[in-house]
Amino acid sequence: MISRLAAAGWVLLVSAVLIATPLAVRERLPDPMATHWTFGLVPDGAATFGEFLVVSMPVWVVTCAALIAAGAYGRGRARRVHRASWWGLLVGVGTLAMGVNLSTLAANLDVPDWRSALLPGWHLAAVLGCAAVAGTVAGYLGRGEPGEPDIPPPAPPRLRLEPGRQTVWVGHARNTTTVMVGLVVLAFFAVLAFLSTLDTDDDVGMYLSFLPAVAVGTLVVLVTMSLTVRVGGDRVVIGFGPFGWPRRRIRLETVESAWAEELRATEVGGWGFRGLPGRATIMVRGGECLVLRYRSGGRLAISVDDAAHGASLVNALIAERVNP
Amino acid sequence: MLLTLDLNDVRPLHEQVAGALRRAIGEGSYQPGDRLPPAREIAGALGINPNTVLRALRGLRDEGLLEFRRGRGVSVTGRADGRALLVQRARELLDEARRYGYGRDDLFRILEELP
Repeated sequence: MISRLAAAGWVLLVSAVLIATPLAVRERLPDPMATHWTFGLVPDGAATFGEFLVVSMPVWVVTCAALIAAGAYGRGRARRVHRASWWGLLVGVGTLAMGVNLSTLAANLDVPDWRSALLPGWHLAAVLGCAAVAGTVAGYLGRGEPGEPDIPPPAPPRLRLEPGRQTVWVGHARNTTTVMVGLVVLAFFAVLAFLSTLDTDDDVGMYLSFLPAVAVGTLVVLVTMSLTVRVGGDRVVIGFGPFGWPRRRIRLETVESAWAEELRATEVGGWGFRGLPGRATIMVRGGECLVLRYRSGGRLAISVDDAAHGASLVNALIAERVNP
Repeated sequence: MLLTLDLNDVRPLHEQVAGALRRAIGEGSYQPGDRLPPAREIAGALGINPNTVLRALRGLRDEGLLEFRRGRGVSVTGRADGRALLVQRARELLDEARRYGYGRDDLFRILEELP
């Protein structure tokens, strides 16, 4: 409750500063006023007072709307890292918006014409620095109690293994969107290769300078478009991409237990390979994930279909081989 | 998908693999339209030749359980054929009965006694 009041108070305070300060010093501003500066801190863009008021608000409004939506509907509030980033963003972006606003007004104060509104260099550093510090402090203060979800579900799924039988589990996951992106990148690559054979124009040479980036992009797409997880014998093997390479092998001796969990990209920090301390995630798509809990304490989540069966086999193999 | 092979089974390996795949699909972990893991990975997990797995997959395609599509891999088309699944369960039941010293006729009798 207190945290909600604090958040609401902060939102109102920032909004009030964004609206009230320009109105308070309106008489001392040129019209139009400078609103954009080159890297040399010389003004190169101007707007009327009304435009300035309207344009300075959207970043703050959008941030507030997104954070309120995440706070109301997101499932991440139970996690510490989410609360910390929620508060960090709210206070950091608010400070940034206020800083930009105040610095713009200060530069425009009492100048005869917008072209003479020079921006002092330290403003930029001060605004960014204040926003970073305020966001970090707020994130630290708002982190709350440690999150609950590190505790596995009460009964990890088990499977009965019969003697004289070999049981393995193979799971697969792929992201169709990534595959499409990969195809587009490859098509681009092919067109470039074709063009470069047609003529030796400078333009083509310029395009070809993108080649390394395209090659790296293709590689990243190939590795993250799909994955396969195998459980059997004494290890879990994760193969990336359509060729199952590179591979990552995890010995079952190092695993304490496994379970299946529904995870979304917003909860783990995005798609791809995520490495929050002790909470690594390999996510090619949202949804069903196989979660391995290491004896050393950390956990690894891998997005893969049919994860419940995989988890039950991991638990059965651990029970059979590691604690006979 | 969870695949189990009986190490004492004397049937050809591709038949055993087909049986394991049929059971995994029949148990509902894969719905119609779902894609199977690549054959190479299934073979790697079981420690057998990929061609054996491919032969099993082709058999299941002919049964109407799977569908092969170029570039899209192998996907499930329908539910496992009821009869094929029953034959497989019956075979396993018979094996288990023999382990406890019962024969085919004993199983018939047990089936008749069921309501």
